[in-house]
Amino acid sequence: MAKLDADKLSLIRKVIKKQGLDAFIISDYSDIKYIMGPVFQPGEAVMLIHSKGVYLTARSLYEAPLKADFPEIQVEGCDVERSSKTVQAVKKLKLKKVGFDGLKETYHDGKIYEKEGFSNIENFLVPVRASKTEAELRNMKASAKIAYKTYEHILSWLEPGVTEQQTAEEIDSFMKKNGASAPSFETIVAFGANSGNPHYVTGKTKLKKNMAVLLDFGCIYKDYCSDITRTFWFGDKPGKEFVEILNIVKSAHDEVVEKARCGQSGAEIDAIARGYIEAAGYGKYFTHRTGHGIGMQIHEEACLSQDNTAVPIMENYCFSVEPGIYIAGKIGVRYEDCFYMTKNGIKQIK
Amino acid sequence: MKRNDEKIKNFQSYMKRKGIDACAVTDLDGVNFFADFSFAGQGDAYLLITRKKAYCFTKQMYAADLKKKAPYLALVDSLDCADIVKKARSLKAENCVFDAASTGYLAGKLFYESGFKEAAGLISEVKEEKTASEISRIKKACAISAKAYDIFRKKLKAGISEIEAASLLEGIMSDLGGQGLAFTTIMAFGANSANPHHINSSRKLKEGEVVLLDYGCKYGGYCSDITRTFWFGKNPSAEFSKTFDLVKAAHDEALKYVKAGAAAKEAHNRVCEFFDKNGKLAKYFIHGLGHSLGTAIHETPYLNPRSLSTLKTGNIVTVEPGLYFEGKFGIRYENTVLITDKSVKILTK
Repeated sequence: MAKLDADKLSLIRKVIKKQGLDAFIISDYSDIKYIMGPVFQPGEAVMLIHSKGVYLTARSLYEAPLKADFPEIQVEGCDVERSSKTVQAVKKLKLKKVGFDGLKETYHDGKIYEKEGFSNIENFLVPVRASKTEAELRNMKASAKIAYKTYEHILSWLEPGVTEQQTAEEIDSFMKKNGASAPSFETIVAFGANSGNPHYVTGKTKLKKNMAVLLDFGCIYKDYCSDITRTFWFGDKPGKEFVEILNIVKSAHDEVVEKARCGQSGAEIDAIARGYIEAAGYGKYFTHRTGHGIGMQIHEEACLSQDNTAVPIMENYCFSVEPGIYIAGKIGVRYEDCFYMTKNGIKQIK
Repeated sequence: MKRNDEKIKNFQSYMKRKGIDACAVTDLDGVNFFADFSFAGQGDAYLLITRKKAYCFTKQMYAADLKKKAPYLALVDSLDCADIVKKARSLKAENCVFDAASTGYLAGKLFYESGFKEAAGLISEVKEEKTASEISRIKKACAISAKAYDIFRKKLKAGISEIEAASLLEGIMSDLGGQGLAFTTIMAFGANSANPHHINSSRKLKEGEVVLLDYGCKYGGYCSDITRTFWFGKNPSAEFSKTFDLVKAAHDEALKYVKAGAAAKEAHNRVCEFFDKNGKLAKYFIHGLGHSLGTAIHETPYLNPRSLSTLKTGNIVTVEPGLYFEGKFGIRYENTVLITDKSVKILTK
């Protein structure tokens, strides 16, 4: 029998209380999945979390199985206007102060909630989802372990003549053989000059001796994502420029590991890596953010980016650290691991 | 597959007929539909479509690719909805609208307060009649899924889990040219097939039980949707065979009423009658008969008893009757079909 995650619910109820509310409406597909697991397709349900329980209105098809699987949820089937159905539930439950996230509702539904005097609180779930529970961290670590094991496997599997696509297929299939349900995003394999394009789409280039190899991949294990990038030289005569860039990128990565602190903003942590690469003279070649939040989704909020001055990175937030240097048409290097924040700095998820 | 502005042009003639000067489109599916492009996430791009042009508000990062692949879009380097309003004003567009059913609350509020009118359901309405280019992409997505089924049947072996079998099937679609999944694959073994929205588990396949798979892929941004149910192993139970034949017959019966000019609820109601005539089984048919699909997996018109729509030439819908017996098994048989002037064409075969 499936059960609601009590740790996550209690985190959400804390925020509801902190905002001075009695209840909060959650209708975003991935937010509902975060609380219940993968039950619905997008747009099939609306959830109302209040201090005494959880109300849910979903396609009537689900009513019977949901009642059996989640006895703690008050379920009502409804095939039209689930926002109005939710308003009725609010009245029946005599809830006074109800919130919704204007960023997650359509204009049609938001207007219905607004008319009832519900409060619009944007990004309500961001701090909750960013801060992983113990169980979530366990799954994130297991997911990362599969990715690291896959990297070790690929190092011995690679040989001259294989294409980028064949390599990506081997990565994907090895991850699945080792317990992953799927890749967490489309695996990127870039050989030689292709590594110079940070948005490269895996192609048919064949591997030759003395080429750069960039692998960016991850998997989903028990609904949780991993994400790693490694760049290395295939062959024994690494180019001088490659060695120089690789050292700078790795040091920028290590600098973040050493210096990032709990409570710093995403922008402050981004500046550690960016500052290092700029000081080394490659600032304009580091063309993306230092990292992104990660969890059930490969890209979550609370990013390590220049524009994220508002969201501090708190305890148990999970994120990638992935500095890179790209010289178009020639070479590129990215080095990425995922971490979680602790009171005493960041720890690798592994 | 070549990207084109056919859908923008069709929409512009629709706007002319309805007296609309400009329409703001901000939801990801709506933007990808009109732009004929695959933006990755909500908020990556917005459109303002006027009678003459389509302005695309997006990140600089997409600019080079868009100029090459979608030259029919006029690019604006901004993702601020206030700039959409400003643009409409600078063009002196008077009757401006947004779709209240798909536009986000905050963007909708801004548009409404700036004098744009609500046009609820506008985008889903214009998506209903597919263009030739859309039809050819859906056909291709359907052909890939149908072919994948044959290969999957040959590769399926006892001992595999539902999760592994789903990933085997997905790999076959990708090898055949599928570009990602249309929705989460449903792979149900044994009694799990009785839940129409089963979540794949680590349950392993045994000889002599039911397998139900409901899946689809994308091609050129468009979805396919197909369900097959079969008996794995020799000597299917008599109950399974009898029910299977009945569900298939219900599917064939339904196709008689899936045609241009028919009420969209007609086919669903006929299937219920058919099931009732054959053993009072309609109460085991617990969902709608079908839905349309396109860039999204669920589009209007729906083939269910609440539908007020009339079917038209160029609609592409699923026809998916099923019977579900809790604790025992479920059977669903589904095809994606195209409604033409004269007939209905099964695309998933």
